Amino acid sequence: MSASAAQLKLVTAPEHDAAPDLNDLLVKVGRGDEHAFAQVYDALGASVFGLARRVIRDPARAEEVAQEVFIQVWQSAARFDPARGTAKSWCLTLAHRRAVDAVRHDQAATNRENKYDWSSGPDFDEVEETVTITLEHEQVKRCLDGLTELQREAVTLAYYQGYTYAEVATALDANTATIKTRMRDGIVRLRDCMGVSA
Amino acid sequence: MSIDLHSLMAPYALDALDADERSRFEAHLDQCVDCQVEMAGFMETAVRLGDAVSHTPPPALRDRLLAEISTTPQQHPIVSSLAERRTLRRVLPRLVMAAAFLVGAVGVGGFLVERDNAQTEHDQNVAISRVIGAEDVATKAKTFDTGGTVKMYSSAAADSAVIIAKDLPRPGDGKVYQVWMIDQAGPTSQGTFETGGQMIMKGVSGADRVAVTVEPAGGSKQPTSAPIATIAV
Repeated sequence: MSASAAQLKLVTAPEHDAAPDLNDLLVKVGRGDEHAFAQVYDALGASVFGLARRVIRDPARAEEVAQEVFIQVWQSAARFDPARGTAKSWCLTLAHRRAVDAVRHDQAATNRENKYDWSSGPDFDEVEETVTITLEHEQVKRCLDGLTELQREAVTLAYYQGYTYAEVATALDANTATIKTRMRDGIVRLRDCMGVSA
Repeated sequence: MSIDLHSLMAPYALDALDADERSRFEAHLDQCVDCQVEMAGFMETAVRLGDAVSHTPPPALRDRLLAEISTTPQQHPIVSSLAERRTLRRVLPRLVMAAAFLVGAVGVGGFLVERDNAQTEHDQNVAISRVIGAEDVATKAKTFDTGGTVKMYSSAAADSAVIIAKDLPRPGDGKVYQVWMIDQAGPTSQGTFETGGQMIMKGVSGADRVAVTVEPAGGSKQPTSAPIATIAV
């Protein structure tokens, strides 16, 4: 009975058990451990690829960017300091930055090619559409639902579509000061809803 | 300050700043400890949003990566040892430390020894933010083939310039990088750094350019080697 209880605990709360290991693994990657790199990839590949795919849309391009992200992880892992955050945060922060830069770079190239092709506007439904059903993701969805419409739009256009706050302001026909405030209110509310320590 | 850098906290955490604002905000974040604490929570929140859209990658990606890393060189840690950092911190109380969280994420790191007649660290930080946020700020950057950048933000209105060096390769055993402001009277030392850091220079209206040289540890009174970078003021 105690064995099955322990197992149950492991299944429902893998994060707490897995997180320290991942930090250790990333430190090993920093010392050139290729086997540790493979394990980090196995743990975070879906998170990094999924985020790149969400922001970039084109799966082939997202795959390229995910590859660049993991090469960067390999190259700069020695600069990861577990005292300053988790390996997952480090990798996903890097992945998001890279995905956003890629989508803006590609967008600028497209704009140069076709100055008059304005996008038809953001598709708000897609965010929820691609959110897969797990406990953790349910929480994110629920917390996003708890925002005001403007807060949610400001946060998701920026984070999931790579818009700058100035672009968000244009898309939502609001002034930039309002958008910055809504982003702040939104992220504070999300933080508290998700139980991230302030 | 003409731009409220603090209002950029949330947009920064969401990667919603353009490249120019991002680097100006990072310069602010480097020296704003309160901001760093709040930013850690914002960044972690953004990570949760990112983790909510995971998607299994094509299996070929794993094979390609494992093949590629086996021939890809790795960077060294920015700060070689904690002991060295502690020693410097004790010896040089006005040391400017880089943003904690970002050391890993984007490679901000290192420190720069302030010049002798500097104000208190707080005053300096306020002054740095003011220059970076100035309406007439002009930005110049030098990127090195060997890695690292030196950026200069200058404001004629504030008669000041801020130098931010990031991720330069280690200058070698017993060597440091030294920053010089050069005017008609010649070069004046502005301070030294190892791989990166930030500093403010005042009274730059008469200066021609800023130069960076490699010098023996502790710095030289006058440059003893050809500059690795010069930036016109």
